[in-house]
Order: sequence, then C-alpha cells, then structure tokens
Amino acid sequence: MKVYISGGCKNGKSMLAQSLAKKLAGEAPLYYIATMIPHDNEDNARIAKHIEDRDGWGFETLEQGRELLKCLDNADANGTFLLDSVTALVQNEMFREDKIDLTAGRRVSEDMAEFAGKVKNVIMVSDYIFGDAERYDALTEGYRHALAMADRIAKECDLVVEVLAGNYIVHKGELYL
Amino acid sequence: MDLIIGGAYQGKLEYAAKTYNLKQTDVYVCAEDTDIDFDKKCIYGIEEFVMYCLKRGISAREVLEENKPKWENSVFICREIFSGVVPVDVLLRTWRDETGRVLTWLSKEARTVTRLFCGIPQKLK
Repeated sequence: MKVYISGGCKNGKSMLAQSLAKKLAGEAPLYYIATMIPHDNEDNARIAKHIEDRDGWGFETLEQGRELLKCLDNADANGTFLLDSVTALVQNEMFREDKIDLTAGRRVSEDMAEFAGKVKNVIMVSDYIFGDAERYDALTEGYRHALAMADRIAKECDLVVEVLAGNYIVHKGELYL
Repeated sequence: MDLIIGGAYQGKLEYAAKTYNLKQTDVYVCAEDTDIDFDKKCIYGIEEFVMYCLKRGISAREVLEENKPKWENSVFICREIFSGVVPVDVLLRTWRDETGRVLTWLSKEARTVTRLFCGIPQKLK
C-alpha cells in the first residue's frame, strides 16, 4: 500500500504516519527513513523529539538524506517504510554543497515512484507550504515549486490524507485506523 | 461560473484545462498591472486581480458584480493565500484579507467549487 500524507506543521502528520506504518507492517520489518541532515542545535533538538516519539514503536532507522533508492541496499523490500519527510528530501537534493539543483522536485518524485514500485508498503510524509500570501524570492519560489512537483506522486498512491489540526481529510482512498 | 481553488502549484490550471477542454487562448492570466478580460472562458489568478484592484484603490467585488453577466458561464481559478503567517507588509496583509472575502463571495456565486490538493481534485460544492 502506498500512502501520502501532507498538511501543516505540527498538526499530527507524523503520528498518523507512524500508526499507519505500524498497522501495515504486521510481523514484517518496519523502517523509518530519516531524511534530516542536521545543521545546528535546533535541528538536533527536533530530531531528538522525533526519536523520542518513535521510541518503542519498533522502527529500524535508515539514514537517507539524499538518493532515496540507496536505502534499499540495507533493507527488506517486503517491509513497511515510513519516509518522513519528502520536504527534507527535496531540500537536501536541491541545496547541494556545490550547486542549487532546480530539477530536484521531479527527481524526488521519480525516485519515490520507483521506490514505491519496489517495496510492499510506503508512507510518505510531506508539508503543505502552498497557502500563504508572501511574495517570495525566486529561490524560495523554486523550492515551493519543487516540493509541489514531488507531491504529485500522491496521485499514484492508494491513500492520500491531509492532516489539519489532528483531523484527517481524505483526498483519495479510504482511511481505516 | 465554476470555481477552482487550491494552494500554489497544486494543479489548478492543469485540472481546468482538462475538465473544460481549454486552449491557451481561452485563459486570461491575471496580473497586477493589466486589465481583466471577462470575454475569456477562464480567468486564472483571481488573487492577482484582487491585487490589481488594491493597487488602484477600487473594489474587486464591485468590478466583478458589474461584469457578472459576462462571467456567469466562465471558469474562475483562485490561489489560496490565506494560510500561513499574517504578512507584516500592509499591502500583502490587505491582499490576503480581501482575497479571502472575494473568494467566499465567489464560492456562493459558483455552480461548483473544486479544490486541488497535490494534483487531486475534491468537490466542495
């Protein structure tokens, strides 16, 4: 099963994703694809909070900030994968040390499509950053566009849920908890 | 009028083009410095039309009301710009408020309202 979850920040996306992952996994391996590459103490604190939230859920963590498909080298494709988050993946693929890659969105989308075709279950978590009234600079706008392009994989998923203040808006498929 | 809404880059125009069989020449793309053309079948970027009106000190709603006979069978597309932090800039703040009000009114006027999310349409009305 392929699941796509998006919505606002700190609205409960990760909790829903973890619950669904646990349920889908059954006795098979359960993987958490950690995508954040920490740059400062704020990042470290955020990661620590996520690790604490996952404690006792039975996830094996795969560190993969870029090149998503590589994490399959060390994992069982019959398992259930929680990818949290698409946003961080796009960010890491776009803002490279040596260059800015504006094709990152499409590439992440293609990687996720290939990944989803290879594994039994995958739950992808993204962020909805498309509803505000700012006039952004070209780079920020490029980043928003890239993430939106990555999000288009949602159409190919079995279940698409928007999380809003802990409530679930189902855009595709049916959500059983 | 059929109204299509959604955040930035969610596939609103793509959906409209497919659903209403639109050619590029059928679409008027609103910009903050050009007059709106109500003769086009599809008006894209109502939020930019609101900005256009704000910059001229005119009411977007009044202009829309005056021209209603022209757009009763049109497709309107508007971006959601009301989430996120309230902008510090007064023009952007007013724009955000005004677009919300105009869109709420347009939703009432519309035959159908569809929202796009990650490229997936959802019928709201």
